[in-house]
Amino acid sequence: MGDSSNLKLTRRGFIKGAAVTLAAANALSSYSWFRPSQAFGATEPDLVIAEKGNPTQLLNAAMASIGGMGRFVKKGQRVVIKANIAWARTPEQACTNNPELLSRLIKMCYDAGAKRVAVWDHTCDNYQFCFSRSGLKKVTQDAGADIFSGHGRNVYKTVEIPKGKALKSAEVNKDILDADVLINFPIPKQHFATELTLGLKNMMGTVWDMELLHKIDLHQCIADINTLRKPDLVVVDAIRILTTNGPKGPGKTEDPNQVMVSTDVVAVDAYGTALFKNPKTGNPYKPAEIRFIKNAYDLKLGEINLSKVRVKKVQGA
Amino acid sequence: MKRTYRTLRVPIQALSFFFLLYLILQTAFPLETRIPVDLYLRLDPFIGLISLITQKELILRMLPAFGVLLLVIVLGNFFCGWFCPMGAAIDFFDRVLFREKKRTKNLDDQALRRGRYGVFAFALTAGLLGWQLMFLLDPISLVTRTLVIAVYPPVIYISNQLIPLIQKFLPQNPVILSTTPLPVFKVNLLIFLFFVVILSLGVIRRRFWCRYLCPLGTLFSLTSRLRLFRRSVSQDCIHCLKCVKDCPVGAIPQEEPETYRQQDCITCLRCTDCAPAAVSFGLKTPHWQAAQGPSLSRRYVVGSITFGLFSALAVKTNPLQTGSGRKNNRLIRPPGALPEEKFVAVCTGCGECLKVCPNNALQATFLEAGLAGFYTPRLVPRIGYCEEFCNFCGRVCPTEAILPLPVDEKRKIQMGVAHIDKTRCIAFEKDKVCLVCNEQCSYHAIIGDEKDDKKRPIIKEELCTGCGICENKCPVEGDSAIIVYTTGVQKKVTPENPPEAERS
Repeated sequence: MGDSSNLKLTRRGFIKGAAVTLAAANALSSYSWFRPSQAFGATEPDLVIAEKGNPTQLLNAAMASIGGMGRFVKKGQRVVIKANIAWARTPEQACTNNPELLSRLIKMCYDAGAKRVAVWDHTCDNYQFCFSRSGLKKVTQDAGADIFSGHGRNVYKTVEIPKGKALKSAEVNKDILDADVLINFPIPKQHFATELTLGLKNMMGTVWDMELLHKIDLHQCIADINTLRKPDLVVVDAIRILTTNGPKGPGKTEDPNQVMVSTDVVAVDAYGTALFKNPKTGNPYKPAEIRFIKNAYDLKLGEINLSKVRVKKVQGA
Repeated sequence: MKRTYRTLRVPIQALSFFFLLYLILQTAFPLETRIPVDLYLRLDPFIGLISLITQKELILRMLPAFGVLLLVIVLGNFFCGWFCPMGAAIDFFDRVLFREKKRTKNLDDQALRRGRYGVFAFALTAGLLGWQLMFLLDPISLVTRTLVIAVYPPVIYISNQLIPLIQKFLPQNPVILSTTPLPVFKVNLLIFLFFVVILSLGVIRRRFWCRYLCPLGTLFSLTSRLRLFRRSVSQDCIHCLKCVKDCPVGAIPQEEPETYRQQDCITCLRCTDCAPAAVSFGLKTPHWQAAQGPSLSRRYVVGSITFGLFSALAVKTNPLQTGSGRKNNRLIRPPGALPEEKFVAVCTGCGECLKVCPNNALQATFLEAGLAGFYTPRLVPRIGYCEEFCNFCGRVCPTEAILPLPVDEKRKIQMGVAHIDKTRCIAFEKDKVCLVCNEQCSYHAIIGDEKDDKKRPIIKEELCTGCGICENKCPVEGDSAIIVYTTGVQKKVTPENPPEAERS
């Protein structure tokens, strides 16, 4: 990528950012995609992959390269982390997020000045068993954040999905829609119905009637749901991934020991596909082979072509 | 001194009732209370005795019940008046609803008073032949069942209605109140009405139920003949008959207020509230002979037993009984339940397992298990499924009708097997990829056909435990397209890859 185009972008971005800062002061804070922080991102990489090291080191290194948590979380904001705690499995089985990583992520949000951090998921198994067996309730509360389960219908509101192709309206988690900052925190897994589960698929846990999506058209619905609220930050927990019997497991696991952070959920999902082998071809998956990523790209939710994305690899330790 | 004892009774009754409520509310995840949540049932010697007879072995967790029985033998019946939560409820409603009611004078109620001995003999005989009518009448089981099935769901309903209103006054962040999934039970109205009938009998006499029907009270009556803690009346008695009117169980005969029917006395000490202070209680030499016995004729007892015998035989030969239960392939019993015939004989229908089930999967039966299996638990997957790492129902069952299995063993119990209805399944009928059942299955018992691009589900019956999560989550409207049927007897499955051993 040429230096001149970068410079041009930066300048334009800066002016745009300044204008939007003024506007945002008056406007509702919930329109997060207009937030000025985006403007500073122009020189930052779009996707950072951290390797080697323990979960804390990986996240530290990755976040440092993408501009620090301060780029996303401002003082006094409410941060919502959409984690994956869908199943009553232990952390070693890699069906739910890594507890140490979640703990570090929450602390980073608080260090950046977050007023309160909430961790949400609409679990598939009984939420009490999911929260306790995954160990995530303990680390969340120890880190001073709240952990919520979407088992009560009152936490949802019915919204129209204007950009949706298959799904025109859905009951979606209010807190996630209204949060100042939304962090999508998926764990990559093999998934029998959708081949893989990644960042886009993780947002399915913001919906009340998840089974309904299976009935309509799962891949298109996943993309449609993602048009509602774009996450400000995607943190992919690829420390240990589930490669068979997904999404519930238990199955075979692999330890890529990576953390990926990005502002573009489609790009990070496109990158994440390569972690898995396509059983039909025997080669790693290509992004376009996963239909929900393709559908999301078609809805202009992000960049599927990794050559058009600024990717940076860093070392945790 | 006596005065203070007496005034303590109502607070203790209230405390006892609220403690039961507390225990019932604690009968839920994570089930970590120090005190067993089924404490009251474990203290019930009627259940203890019957389960001893039907199980034919001593259930260790029912041991405290025999302690209570021993205390009653020595001290006399103190349980009904002081600790029985059912008695507390009856006393409360008698007071609230029927205070104004001019009670009928202490009529000759001999015929009624022997009623409960008849009920007792009848229920016992029927019970020994496998018709567990008596558990429906046991007061502890009854009050627990009523609270769990008839009272708890409306409470949750109301709180769910209130939560959005309360939320308006609270900051949305970080306080987010979630509604609770509403527990539902088909038999709730029936159980509620039965309880209402029992309470409204108080319009005829105070503690009508306790005096004339309660089988636990009868057991205590039979055993408290040798009581040491006895009532005595001094020479100061002026025959004002206040104690006769006050006695909530009518244990003091009008003609001779100096005496009392020791087997009916519940030691509430109300009669010590006496103007000349003539009445006192104290430790005295036991006296087998009562002032007035229940006047049981041989004919009456034999009649009751014969009636019980015949009713039990009628139930046994009823097609509802012979046809369902073992032959109802939708009657899925909780994991670790005893074989069907024994199960209905031991289960008291107390509802503890219904309350503790985190997914509301366990439902009380009405006629599904035949006439002998009223209010016994069954798994209804469309309402809720059996949680993989939960063994709570076995842990709270007071009579071990559901065995208290460790989680790892419980996970391997096969309650039933799932079957796909190919005429309704989305993958077969609409030619779409759905696979909710495969995704949800905890035991890898449903696989998608890899050779088929619609990935139609295939069931591996040898791995299926019948937990019903597939039936529960199936997105087909109305009845599920995947249905769990029992296989008759519960047996063990051996999972291909037990999750815990997976990585070792």
